[in-house]
Amino acid sequence: MTMRWIARREFTERLRDGRLYWAGGLVAVLLLTALAVGWAHQRGAHAEQVAAQAMDYRDWLHQDKRHPHDAAHQGMHAFKPEPPLSMVDAGINPYIGSTVWLQAHRQSEVKFNAAQDATGLQRFGNLSVGWILQVLGPLLVIVLGFNAFAGEREQGILRQTLSLGVAPLRLLAGKALALSALLAVLLVPAALVAAVAVAVGAEPGGRVDALLRLGAWSLGYAVYLGIFVCLVLGVSALSSTSRMAITVLLALWIGQAVMAPRVLSELSRKWFPSPTRLAFNQALGAELKAVSNQVWQQNFGTTERWGRDVPLSKWGIALRLDDQASYPVYDRHYGRLWDTWEQQQKVQEWSGLLLPLLAVRSFSMGMAGTDFSHHRRFTTAAELHRRHIQDLMSKDLVAHADPLGDRHFSYQATPELWATVPPFDYHPPGAGWALRHQARSFLVLCAGLLLAAAFAAFATLRQRAL
Amino acid sequence: MLRASGLTKRYGAHTALDRLDLDIRGGDIYCLLGANGAGKTTTINLFLNFIAPTDGTVQINGTDVTRHPVATKQDVAYIPEQVTLYGTLSGLENLRFFAGLALGHELPRERLLALMTEVGLDHAAADKRVSMYSKGMRQKVWIAVALAKEAKALLLDEPTSGLDPHAAAEFSDLLRRAADRGVAVLTTTHDLFHAQQTATRVGIMKRGRLVESLDGAQIGQTDLQSLYLQHMRA
Repeated sequence: MTMRWIARREFTERLRDGRLYWAGGLVAVLLLTALAVGWAHQRGAHAEQVAAQAMDYRDWLHQDKRHPHDAAHQGMHAFKPEPPLSMVDAGINPYIGSTVWLQAHRQSEVKFNAAQDATGLQRFGNLSVGWILQVLGPLLVIVLGFNAFAGEREQGILRQTLSLGVAPLRLLAGKALALSALLAVLLVPAALVAAVAVAVGAEPGGRVDALLRLGAWSLGYAVYLGIFVCLVLGVSALSSTSRMAITVLLALWIGQAVMAPRVLSELSRKWFPSPTRLAFNQALGAELKAVSNQVWQQNFGTTERWGRDVPLSKWGIALRLDDQASYPVYDRHYGRLWDTWEQQQKVQEWSGLLLPLLAVRSFSMGMAGTDFSHHRRFTTAAELHRRHIQDLMSKDLVAHADPLGDRHFSYQATPELWATVPPFDYHPPGAGWALRHQARSFLVLCAGLLLAAAFAAFATLRQRAL
Repeated sequence: MLRASGLTKRYGAHTALDRLDLDIRGGDIYCLLGANGAGKTTTINLFLNFIAPTDGTVQINGTDVTRHPVATKQDVAYIPEQVTLYGTLSGLENLRFFAGLALGHELPRERLLALMTEVGLDHAAADKRVSMYSKGMRQKVWIAVALAKEAKALLLDEPTSGLDPHAAAEFSDLLRRAADRGVAVLTTTHDLFHAQQTATRVGIMKRGRLVESLDGAQIGQTDLQSLYLQHMRA
């Protein structure tokens, strides 16, 4: 009961002192603007992806009669689907590319990212709902709650309240409830608008999954902002003045929003170094060559590829052997590189215990389907499709071109062969998969909330009434 | 009801309160007099457990305040020199909130208005925002909180400071009525006139020590001002 009164009084006061209208109103406007921009972008990108994927497959099917290896070199493109929740958190998508060329012999990198096309001005305007909640959300909590205890101590209200026999922890709970309710007043309507936008933006079959993802995503942010509610109240309880409280809180905010992500990013790269593009390509190329040499030596008694030592009647087999020998090499090198990136990511997630922004950023991207694990899954699916195309083309060469001997290259496959290659039909994983992959960051957030609550309780019990 | 035994508070080498013994029973109005820094407010703060004693014990209604800081506050009402209320709320809303906290249940509007009337605030004033209140009006709201609480003891820190003579006289009446109901009152003041008019017991403090103690008839028979100045000059 006491807690509810305190919460109601705090709530009324924040409504009347105008802070909620100004600070909260600004955040609400930003959220809705970011959501509208995100929605338009997601719809546009999704439509482009669907159209491009269909057009690319149509081009594949409409090839004339030609040698299958030529067709394999043409290949096709895999376009990464833009998940519905990218409208609230675009994650790494703008920076990591959206299209991969499924070509012969080589596993290609994903290319064509939005950041490449962006003007310098756009880089300043990259506003997403996730970014606002991650960076401006804590600032809003600070503005609404920095003087919750410190201000009352300065004015003398705190000693009057405590003289009535109110247990300090009830006071804390009431203030925490009020701050949470104030945030809910702003964010729950925004979440409902986002839910409608996501439901409209999702494919009919993926609507439930998208909403489940949004539910988990919102829960993550609720825990994240809960951490700041406790931190702000704790710092306010320990600070002798409001000025001191807001100074400390702003310093913490700058540390976590501006400095820490950069520092942690550098540290994680130092602890788990990833190779440069040049070093990666050199190492990959060297092993591909070594493995290829080994395969050619074992099967054809020479390391000179595509030379006179291998008759044209074996070029189909040679192609298949060469491709298949490269698959484990690609898997190993890309696997190692991606594992390193995931280790770097893990460092950032664990750092979330002290810097919750890092944990929520990971969780947010993960639930939005725009993090690296989703990207890795797409890239792996695209590579498997590429290998399927290669294997089908090689199989056809072995069956129809190799028997022609010296006339190997006169063989031309018909469009029936192209039609045996299925379209690249990638379905991103479900909410459960994403949640399992983000279990660590979510647990780190929950642990952060417990730590922050313990800090707030400790600070409130230790605070001076005078 | 209010008892201090050997109560001492030191801040490093400075002794703010030195072995104070007090025993204030229900019906007593005990006025602590003394210059600034004599230890009066320290005594009140120790009774409220806002600061911890260096030595000695403080009890309210037989319970040690340092061991049971929340429970002992159920029996007292505290009125500071400067009452602060929530400026964005009305007087009535402030009273409803603080009385609710003190009692653990919400009082009906009629009872709240009756309390406001009892302390001299009319209905129009009750619904005004506190940011428009004078110091005396804010103090009256807090007295209404104390009345609502029906505490067994009152702790008052310079309660008449800054009040006009009429308001101060009203306040003295209020204290006397409380004492008549068996409430123990400990009040600090610089106002010798107020002490002489109101107190049933008077203590004079100097540099943290209780240097003079007067009871009942002694107060009326003593020239309090001369006695006070005599101690201050010594």
